[in-house]
Amino acid sequence: MSALSFAATTVGYGPKPVVRDATFAVAAGEFVGLVGPNGAGKSTLLRAVTGSADVISGDIALGDASALRMADRDRARLVGVVPQTPVPLFAFPARAFVEMGRNPHLSRLGSLDAADHRIVDEAMARTDTAHLAAERVDELSGGDLQRLTLAQALAQQPRVLLLDEPTSHLDLNHALQVLDLVRSLADEGMAVLGVFHDLEIAARYADRIAIVADGRLRPPAPPVEALDAAAIADVFGVRAVVRTDPVTGTVGITPVLRDAELAGERTGETIGVVCGSGAGASLMRQLAKAGHAVFAGALNRGDVDHAVAEAISAGRVDLPPFGEIGEADERATREGYERSACVIVCETPFGRPNLPNLRAALGSGRPLVLIGQMAEARDFTGGEARRLWDEALSRGAERVDSESEALEALARRLGTEA
Amino acid sequence: MTPSPGRSRAALTLVGLAVALALAIVAGVAFGAVRIPPAEVIAAVSRALTGHGGGLADAVVVDLRLPRVLLAALVGASLALAGVLYQALFKNALADPYILGVSSGAGLGATLALAALGTSYAARAVGVPVGAFIGAALTMLLVVQLASRRGRLDPTSLLLAGIAVSYTLSALTSFVLVYDRETMTSVVFWMMGGLQNRSWQHVGMLALMFSAGAVVPALFHRELDLMLLGDERAGQLGVSVERFKLVMLASASLVVAGAVSVSGLIGFVGLMTPHMVRLVIGPRHRLLLPASVLAGAIVLVIADLLARVVLAPVEIPVGIVTALAGGPFFIWLLVHKEHRR
Repeated sequence: MSALSFAATTVGYGPKPVVRDATFAVAAGEFVGLVGPNGAGKSTLLRAVTGSADVISGDIALGDASALRMADRDRARLVGVVPQTPVPLFAFPARAFVEMGRNPHLSRLGSLDAADHRIVDEAMARTDTAHLAAERVDELSGGDLQRLTLAQALAQQPRVLLLDEPTSHLDLNHALQVLDLVRSLADEGMAVLGVFHDLEIAARYADRIAIVADGRLRPPAPPVEALDAAAIADVFGVRAVVRTDPVTGTVGITPVLRDAELAGERTGETIGVVCGSGAGASLMRQLAKAGHAVFAGALNRGDVDHAVAEAISAGRVDLPPFGEIGEADERATREGYERSACVIVCETPFGRPNLPNLRAALGSGRPLVLIGQMAEARDFTGGEARRLWDEALSRGAERVDSESEALEALARRLGTEA
Repeated sequence: MTPSPGRSRAALTLVGLAVALALAIVAGVAFGAVRIPPAEVIAAVSRALTGHGGGLADAVVVDLRLPRVLLAALVGASLALAGVLYQALFKNALADPYILGVSSGAGLGATLALAALGTSYAARAVGVPVGAFIGAALTMLLVVQLASRRGRLDPTSLLLAGIAVSYTLSALTSFVLVYDRETMTSVVFWMMGGLQNRSWQHVGMLALMFSAGAVVPALFHRELDLMLLGDERAGQLGVSVERFKLVMLASASLVVAGAVSVSGLIGFVGLMTPHMVRLVIGPRHRLLLPASVLAGAIVLVIADLLARVVLAPVEIPVGIVTALAGGPFFIWLLVHKEHRR
């Protein structure tokens, strides 16, 4: 049985729905992240659990009981919330502020007993706020207040913890500290549902991620599945390179371009790029931003340039990881460059596997712009790359020192041709 | 960490305020057109309590001065209690019975009762507070209704609705007074806020209304704290916010109606007393509630004393004294607060 479940739940404000037909569940011991564009209704889903937003149809259950028909006090013993922290107007001592979390557990005439105080002590210790006990909450920083609010929620001893961008006011150290704490709370059996604006943070800490967009919730899936490049392009309108972060082993997302930038006026000119190993990433991004279509040659999957080419929908010949460029690939590559107005050769190192790209560029007969020098550090072909380079220069290729010079040369050439 | 040091300090604060109130009451009884030594005041009260009272001096103390001073204390306590409740519910130090229109509503209700019931003393004694409560409660319902959106109360709309309703009801009260000149003379003085010619009957009535209105807030002091965090947060921490607000507003209406029906419109006490007390002892209602009630009582006993002695033998309505003291105090408070930041 799930600790928290939404069953075909439509939530909103008054009769106006914000998210329709959300169906998903968070099990005890699970951490589910909600991500999506601003205003998509992530917070509305959270707020509906505690009655701050309206459930228009469907149900929200806590264990086997409906949250909608539960007394506020009973619900507050099951669900703790860490809202986006408001500015407090009143001068409560920090400890008294955390003690308020015990409210749903206290009898009408009772006050906090030794057990309650132990729970409060522990909540403050775990959130690293014990030293703030005597401070006034209206004089604390946003970060301290956010951790105190988490302590307040922990003092409720909830089974379900709802977080609404819980690290928005925190510096990097405290953000990681809080999320590590939340992760360990989940590992100890709490069900956690958190709204995040940072996709990488969400991917790093959540077991599953649900995307909320266009009034719908996509069922939660493990981060690698939920946050692929296609989903990010679809939901956020951002072309991104998504790969496994080498340090954390979780999803790493590098935004390349916004759709709005790609959708700019097209010159109609396709520009060929000879690249690989990331040497062409920045150039391709700028070409796409300037409105050019790009042909990126033959690239291995897993190569950064391949990911960028994919993100900007550049024409390319796909190779398996570490695969070599075969004859058919080379022909396709040459044909791609032949359709280009101009081909720019980036500062890519050349070895046997990718040399055909350079040969294809030369063979295409299109005007070439060469970036950098063909130094020994770049030529792993035993002089073959060097020979092609010199031949290109002798046939009138233009050599420049930097990407920006290459773009200027390109503009000049396109200008004179027109 | 143990809670005991905070508790003993809280107890000390309350004992200190209670002693100050007792002293203020003795002083209030001692001073007046005829000065009575404090020792004699205490002696007269004990004689009356033990049933050996008699004589003119004792009558002045027991039948004239004491009810008036106790009434002043109860009115101050009532207004301060209402102020604490409104300020907690609306998270706004400006909320008080006047801004929300509740006092005007109680005033109109009391005025209509006076006009309708004629000069019968008994009919007035019952009719005025009942009229005031009906006026206060209906006004609160109206203001809440005007400010509600989809079953939720918005603090800003509530204050705006309160001010608008307050003006309308004050105008209606004036209309009734112009229309009914006979009622006018007695009402105008009462409207300025006065405690003249009040009897033990008034004391008993207000004591009853105050007690009835204070019980629920005293039991729900923790929820009042939570309300200061905002309605949404209070709900997340287990308060049934909308229902809680209505119950608290009913309690506040009751004590405001009591205060207005015995003393008319007295400003400043409900607005400023809780504010002052909160600055000194903090926002927790477990202490703020009783401390504000005691402080409100002290403030109004002293204000009434001043109203009687400053231009003696002429009496100033006590509402004028509180307004005169309240304005400058409010300004001082603002400057002081700015300075501290």
